[in-house]
Amino acid sequence: MSAIKGNEMNTFQTVAEFKAYRESILAAGRSQRPCLVICGGTGGQASGSNDLIRVIKRQILEQDLHDRLSLRITGCLGFCEMDPFIIVEPGYHLYPKLKMEHVPRIVEAAVKGEVVEELLYREPGSAVVRFSEQEIPFFQGQTRIVLGQNQQVDPIRINDYLKMGGYAALEKALETPDRQWIVDEILRSNLRGRGGAGFPTGRKWELARNMNSVSGRKYVICNADEGDPGAYMDRSMLEGNPHAILEGMIIAALAMRASNGIIYVRTEYPLAIKHVTIAIREAGRLGLLGRNILGRGFDFDIEVFHGAGAFVCGEETALIKSIEGEMGEPRQRPPYPIAKGLFGCPTCINNVETLANIPYIINRGAEAYLKIGTENNAGTKIFSLVGKIKNTGLVEVPLGTPISKVVYEIGGGPSGSAKIKAIQTGGPSGGCIPSSLFDLPIDYDSLAKVGSIMGSGGMIVMDDNTCMVDVAKYFMKFLQDESCGKCFTCRKGTQRLHEILEDITCGKGVPEHLTLLEELAQTVKDTTMCGLGQTAANPVLSTLKYFREEYERHIFDKRCDAYVCKPLTGAPCQAACPVDTEPWRYVAMIEKGDYEEAYRVIRSANPFPAVSARVCDRKCESRCSLGTSGGEAVAIRALKRFVTDRVKPSAYKPVLAKKKRQRVAVVGAGPAGITAAHCLSLRGYGVTVFEAEDRPGGMLTCSLPAYRLPRDVVEKEIKTLLNRRIKMEFGRVLGKDMTVQDLLAGRYDAVFLAFGAHESMRLDLRHEDVRGVFPSIEFLKAFNMRGEELARGHVGVIGGGNSAVDAARVALRQKDVTSVSLFYRRTREEMPAYEEEIDAALEEGVRIETLISPVKIRVRQEEIEAAVREGVELETLVSPVKIHSRKGRLVDIECIRNRLGDVDATGRRKPLPIPGSEFRVRLDTLIVAVGEKPKSEFLASMGLDIDKSGRIRVNAKTLETSLRGVFAGGDLVTGPNTVIDAVAAGKKAAESIDRYLQKKPLAKPATPKLPSVYVEPAQAGESEDKAGARAATPSLAPAERMKNYREVEMALPETAARTESRRCLRCDLAFTEKKSADGSVRSVGEGARHG
Amino acid sequence: MTPEAIEKIVAEHAEKQGSIIAILEDIQNRYRYLPEEALRIVARRTGKSLVDVYGVATFYKAFSLKPRGKRLISVCLGTACHVRGGQAIAEEFTQQLGITAGETTPDREITLETVNCLGACALGPTVVVDGHYHPHVSKRQVNEIIAAAREGAGQPDAQDDRRFFPLQAYCPACKKSLLDPDHRLDGHPAIRCDVSFDGREGWLRLSSLYGSRAMASEHEIPMSGRFRLYCPHCRNGMPHYSNCTECGSPMAALFIRPGCAYEVCTLRGCDGHLLNLEQPNMT
Repeated sequence: MSAIKGNEMNTFQTVAEFKAYRESILAAGRSQRPCLVICGGTGGQASGSNDLIRVIKRQILEQDLHDRLSLRITGCLGFCEMDPFIIVEPGYHLYPKLKMEHVPRIVEAAVKGEVVEELLYREPGSAVVRFSEQEIPFFQGQTRIVLGQNQQVDPIRINDYLKMGGYAALEKALETPDRQWIVDEILRSNLRGRGGAGFPTGRKWELARNMNSVSGRKYVICNADEGDPGAYMDRSMLEGNPHAILEGMIIAALAMRASNGIIYVRTEYPLAIKHVTIAIREAGRLGLLGRNILGRGFDFDIEVFHGAGAFVCGEETALIKSIEGEMGEPRQRPPYPIAKGLFGCPTCINNVETLANIPYIINRGAEAYLKIGTENNAGTKIFSLVGKIKNTGLVEVPLGTPISKVVYEIGGGPSGSAKIKAIQTGGPSGGCIPSSLFDLPIDYDSLAKVGSIMGSGGMIVMDDNTCMVDVAKYFMKFLQDESCGKCFTCRKGTQRLHEILEDITCGKGVPEHLTLLEELAQTVKDTTMCGLGQTAANPVLSTLKYFREEYERHIFDKRCDAYVCKPLTGAPCQAACPVDTEPWRYVAMIEKGDYEEAYRVIRSANPFPAVSARVCDRKCESRCSLGTSGGEAVAIRALKRFVTDRVKPSAYKPVLAKKKRQRVAVVGAGPAGITAAHCLSLRGYGVTVFEAEDRPGGMLTCSLPAYRLPRDVVEKEIKTLLNRRIKMEFGRVLGKDMTVQDLLAGRYDAVFLAFGAHESMRLDLRHEDVRGVFPSIEFLKAFNMRGEELARGHVGVIGGGNSAVDAARVALRQKDVTSVSLFYRRTREEMPAYEEEIDAALEEGVRIETLISPVKIRVRQEEIEAAVREGVELETLVSPVKIHSRKGRLVDIECIRNRLGDVDATGRRKPLPIPGSEFRVRLDTLIVAVGEKPKSEFLASMGLDIDKSGRIRVNAKTLETSLRGVFAGGDLVTGPNTVIDAVAAGKKAAESIDRYLQKKPLAKPATPKLPSVYVEPAQAGESEDKAGARAATPSLAPAERMKNYREVEMALPETAARTESRRCLRCDLAFTEKKSADGSVRSVGEGARHG
Repeated sequence: MTPEAIEKIVAEHAEKQGSIIAILEDIQNRYRYLPEEALRIVARRTGKSLVDVYGVATFYKAFSLKPRGKRLISVCLGTACHVRGGQAIAEEFTQQLGITAGETTPDREITLETVNCLGACALGPTVVVDGHYHPHVSKRQVNEIIAAAREGAGQPDAQDDRRFFPLQAYCPACKKSLLDPDHRLDGHPAIRCDVSFDGREGWLRLSSLYGSRAMASEHEIPMSGRFRLYCPHCRNGMPHYSNCTECGSPMAALFIRPGCAYEVCTLRGCDGHLLNLEQPNMT
């Protein structure tokens, strides 16, 4: 038998031969065929790119497209968030997040030179098609001198690398007789080590070059032991463009006369190991590795060493020990590895990314390289932008780029609705940088100045759902595990730091812990030998520096506002509820069919169950574990509605304490005032409620529309809360009829102020007071309290909050109204109104225009003329003050279009007007709903401390004002806020006033709110609905809502409610145990600590 | 485990300085853990003290001194995974499997471990089952992942999955079809070649379905043995243009069309294969 001879690739003996081959490949050029580029790196494969590749191959074969289409399987392309995606060259059309069934259309279009528009990339939430990679903001902001090459090569084909100019730098270096030139060029380029510390690479090479080796051996090691959690650029470069690293290493070896190369790769990176192994073989076959490389009398070979999993081996002396076959413990330096490294020979260790930059510098020269980046920080740096960010992926930017550009422009901002609060760089050796410092340029020196480091390039974005104490604890756990144990202070110090942080996150924190942490962290820093130990305390120190208040919340208030620390959070639904309702418990009661008990659970915490069942903002649902773990939150409010519709309030019998002699005055009969009055009366106090209007309810009656909250529900609920100890006085206004001092001097021992925020904010535009323009509160009050319909014709509403949407929907129901448009200055995503209210408004026919600000209100000409005839002087149409605007009537408003700019202090992107985009809208009615504030100027004269928005300043924990015996809560303190927060304030005020009147200290020591009652879980057979969809709340069809005020949302039917209740994950069970024999219930919050 | 097998592994690394880690890695790859006896043999054969070998074996995370289950589930707890809820995923695995990280289920099926970073940070939270990555894992997917791990990487139904499709294979020399309509594998005519190994000759049939590894052979080819393929018509050997990306062995190239080869690894037991649309040698 004979064999067909394989076409062996030539092993080139001289530079000239290789040059001829390389140039022949370059001359052949790229094929003119369209090419599908797809990532076959770890990220792509994990997201399913292999399936797409197979389907593409199948189509090429079956439809015989070989001459019309190419396929390039590359390594990581960086935009991992969009995996699996295909880029079609030459148009660079990017098709994101593909499924197999999309492939045939893309292939067909590519062959014809067309695009499949509906599959092309769009920014999340936008309809604008981005036709090419270059139009996508993620790529636009980057300078991809290293990473960009990944797109051009199939890493297992050396010819792909040659085709894009690969190994030209090596050829140039080999041709240059003066090898010192290489070192000089790198020195001139100012390249600094990309592994983290930023030591100048040229200096390292110079030292290595001048070092003599006794044995004749010198080592170049590529450090690819990428252990920093959160960083994966080294992996992606080895996987995607291994020849660039080999080329960098061979040039390094040539410059420093090294004989042996080692690539130290983590064994967790099998694909990187595979690709780099293939690359070494291919390079050897061309004669670029081995003996007498291209006849230049230079021997060099590279082998791959598998790191067996030890973070500390990223430290160079530990890495060397590891290759020598020992435990990877660092040793004292000097001697530095440059002098005495692997097996005692001079050893130069460079990071993957550093080496990948070498060919660029040799090809283009140091001058060109220096043009990128800033003075002391030349070139680019690759970051892995991960965590709570929209566009996760690899990002290459010039050094000196501000953090904000990377996070918001390239990264696209937060991944969810929570605000970004910090980035973490540098892995366990780095620190957290708060969003207030995001203007900082990213370079070695700036990051060090704020207590972090560049590190290998992990950039982990953290948002409000990330607990910074937990992050510090996480890193201490990591370092405690990874400490080699050689230095006592590192070994025990990281352990002790972790224990203290564990205590704090478990609710056992004491104030002294803060100083102890700082002291200990400093000691670890000062007394350890290697880089790991010296930087180990950074995560603790930087979070303590920038997020101290989070530590304090954990220690003093026993709260974790990110809901991460379980022993402080308990059941998240319960922790989220401002009035301490136990949603898990009443949901479990519904599951058992015990609706009366469910009602009692709700009512015992919340005096307004029926109201809350309709208008609560459902903080419980936003924290539901089912929702935060990939499913849909339990419909808790709908379940509450089911219960309150079914069970009579009499099912709950409040306990009345014995009558006390003290009396309390409550000002304002809204939810806060009524709640406080009710709770105080139960505690035995006599209460008088003073209300300015003629009926109780506050915002519940004057602002909330009846189709959301029927009037009889409010009236009935309030009636259940009043009793003989509560006296109501209507039409009594503070500041007019009495002062706080009058009340305290008279028959009252304490005062609770809760008269809300009833003054609408103004646009501050001219003609804002003309006829046809109404502040939203005035508009809603007129209808809700007096039945007056103020809107007519075409109605415009300005604002994006709940009161704007309420006003729009109320206007739509008024009989003379033709149309309603709502104008908002940002986008719908940023509208503070509840999502379901916005949806309902849209269904009913409200038009919502976003990114629009009103700039001018026009007054009808004839009205002005009439005003002029009446003797009003005016100079021009737009001149101020000269028109008595009440004489005029609204004609139209002029608006200007906005675009979203940088993120402002509220964490939302600022609307920026687009000059020249003004347009007019003809309107008969304009409702201004841009916020409310309290009418409180008069309170200052009574000695109360008022802030510039008119809100009373109180101690947040006790609601005490600056006046003894006077407490305040609700919108008066917070500005416009939710009903449930007002109820919570009422409860808290009652508690504080009681303590005040009983002469107890006002502040109570905090304890976490944990589930304490055991409720049997549903039997296994009954819990199969967990994976099911959330119950949809029934509602009136839009047609049935027109021009009436019938309640829109209806209660769930019983079967749906029972099914929904079974979806609950019962987070409480981690904290409670079955009743023991004596019937007592034991909380096992302790046990959950390690659970 | 046999002492001979361990000694053979040690011998393979004898040339190299400081090769302890590579030796232990090979042993672990073979047995999924490091048996005590193996460590003793390594110490004896390399002249190191048992303490040193034990030190290395316990210093690095990749090594396990306890037998591991058939499947290894690694839950990533890197920073990126951590801030996206990786800890909760790890807890869910702990709860559902009834074991903590580092332990193996009593039926020896599954070992659970948590790792500090797998370098797949954009996909977090990430879980890897025997090298297969699961991206963006939510708590609710945990039981599916466990079920899949217990059943093994379920071979998809090759017959009606669009990812599997038949290849028309020819001899590169005589250009005659290698398909054998009389013998079908996976419901399609099999690719028939002659095969030689260890001085023996016979026939070999491979599934023509791309992606399927179904094969039949006249003689049992020993695992980890190399073989050569020949054309049954012209008796020419199938050429080797490239090496297997998995194991580095030569790949036998079958002709599909000009510039396009179906390359299969010639190491028995290796899964390496490549449908190479750009094999310039395949004219």
